[in-house]
Amino acid sequence: MSAPASIVRRILFNVFAWAVVLVIAFPLLWMVLTSVKPSTELFVIPPRLLPGEITFEHYRRLLTETPFLIYLRNSAWLAAGTTLVVIAIATLGAHSLVRFSYPGRERLARLVLFTYLLPSVVLIIPLYLLMTGLGLANTLTSLIIAYTTFALPYALWLLRSFMKAIPDDLESAALVDGANRMQAFVDVILPQALPGIISTAMFTAILAWNEYFYALVLVNNDAARPLTTGVISMLVTSFNIEWSLLMAASVMMSLPLIVVFAFLQRYLTRGFSAGAIKG
Amino acid sequence: MSRIRFENVSKRFGGVTAVDDLSLEIESGEFVSILGPSGCGKTTLLRMLAGLERPTGGTISIGETVVNELAPAQRNVAMVFQTYALYPHMTVAGNIEYPLRKRRVAKNERVRRVREAAAVLELEALLDRKPRELSGGQQQRVALGRALVRDPAVFLLDEPLSNLDAKLRTHMRAELIRLHRRIGRTMVYVTHDQLEAMTMSQRIAVLRDGRLQQFAPPRDIYARPGNDFVAGFIGTPSMNFLDGRLEGTGSGRTFRCGDVSLPVGMLPLADEMPEPDRRVRLGIRPEHIRIDAEGEAARVNLVEPTGHETILVFDYRGNELVARMDGDVDIESGDRVKLAFRADKLRLFAAADGRRLNDDSTP
Repeated sequence: MSAPASIVRRILFNVFAWAVVLVIAFPLLWMVLTSVKPSTELFVIPPRLLPGEITFEHYRRLLTETPFLIYLRNSAWLAAGTTLVVIAIATLGAHSLVRFSYPGRERLARLVLFTYLLPSVVLIIPLYLLMTGLGLANTLTSLIIAYTTFALPYALWLLRSFMKAIPDDLESAALVDGANRMQAFVDVILPQALPGIISTAMFTAILAWNEYFYALVLVNNDAARPLTTGVISMLVTSFNIEWSLLMAASVMMSLPLIVVFAFLQRYLTRGFSAGAIKG
Repeated sequence: MSRIRFENVSKRFGGVTAVDDLSLEIESGEFVSILGPSGCGKTTLLRMLAGLERPTGGTISIGETVVNELAPAQRNVAMVFQTYALYPHMTVAGNIEYPLRKRRVAKNERVRRVREAAAVLELEALLDRKPRELSGGQQQRVALGRALVRDPAVFLLDEPLSNLDAKLRTHMRAELIRLHRRIGRTMVYVTHDQLEAMTMSQRIAVLRDGRLQQFAPPRDIYARPGNDFVAGFIGTPSMNFLDGRLEGTGSGRTFRCGDVSLPVGMLPLADEMPEPDRRVRLGIRPEHIRIDAEGEAARVNLVEPTGHETILVFDYRGNELVARMDGDVDIESGDRVKLAFRADKLRLFAAADGRRLNDDSTP
């Protein structure tokens, strides 16, 4: 290939790549810019990209005049609670699916994956009736249980592939060295599975943080609403959409995930590759 | 005190029998190798002794205690794995210390014993390293250290040298023998390498398809193999076999196989074989074949000089024979020579079940 042709090729490739980046990034940029524009600038014709004046008024209003902080707290509880429950069950469950031999083990593992394939629409009404029956309707607990139903199979499957990669001999060595099964699990298996556990925990937390559908159906009071449904029901009505507040809320909803992601990124990408190759 | 006894032990995995009705008694302080081809059940046997597998039948005892129902932690055995199985997230010191921590040994006692073990294995400089920063030989020594530090009643070693290069393996073999001499503990060593088994053990248990073939000192295993499997498995190159029949009795007894007819009257048989079926296998070790002007005609098919010795492959009346001779033997492929066998070293095996027919008193 001649040098000019390769340069042209590279330029074309870069133009294309940047175009894709722009398409993805522009709405995010617009969201941030809109959240700091005065409301008066929102609908000027022609539209202006950069705000004439930067204001944090919308953020102030959101935090002081609306139940935003309650929603934020609820979302945090939901993400933390779901992650805790799912990881506690999934690590032990995955260990059992990998290490113990009992009849139907492989079938059980496949069955777990099968439950993950069921669409949530199918599950939502039975779950709703179940929660009402248990007296848990409209509580954070009901949402944690609901989120566990779809996050757990996925987490189990992901962790199973991580645990499969840990050599059997390590656990055997710990047992011979004087550990009981639980100690061998805690001392040797858990530290080895830690990257997998961290990435699985992050997936679970993100799923719980972003979940909308179950929250919409199972909870309809402000005390238990998470950010996803709370912000929409508060700012979007049939007659009006509070664009400035909505954008400010969107920015603040995204921030925690971005911060967590930035810190744990290397574990997360390791998780992706493990799931991809060994799953 | 730490004698090991297997009584009619079996282990089945689903439909596969890994160990089949095996009985074996290992003396306290003895170094015993369990030798056999891969898949013969030797690792399963070791894992049952460690408590990592539960026998399907029979009893295993260590000392006076039946250990079938005891967890690995309760058996006071230490094990070195083929993969070393070092804990990757712990330092060398942490790895060696782990069994002591699980036994709730006091902190300063732990430190002292880790130092002691490290000194024996020359690991002092590596105590703060992680296993992945060590060479294969160093990892191997850490695995040994982790076993050594506990002062267990029994050491179990599962092919511990198989991942090392040849030179290091020879070195570690000597180290292990020295270690055994010094601590005097019972050691059970699983290997598929006959050289390791022959050089290190006081007795060797040869296994095949989960069944014990022979349990005897290395010399006996070589000179008085219990059956044709042991005879063929031990020794490199392996023993030559000729399948034929016995004719005549007493000193007039002859072995016939096609055109071959060899007098074997001087071999004392434990029992004279009854007439109807006298099919036997004649075993000849490669070093018991020599060139002799008075001998039997044969043709040289292949010459493999290794330096200190030469391996020769002969065509002897339609049978292939492998012989081991001096390194300076002057023979070329295609030559016609005359062969003689050391008559007192020939071994006869029953064709039906492979058992050796020569009397045990034969050296």
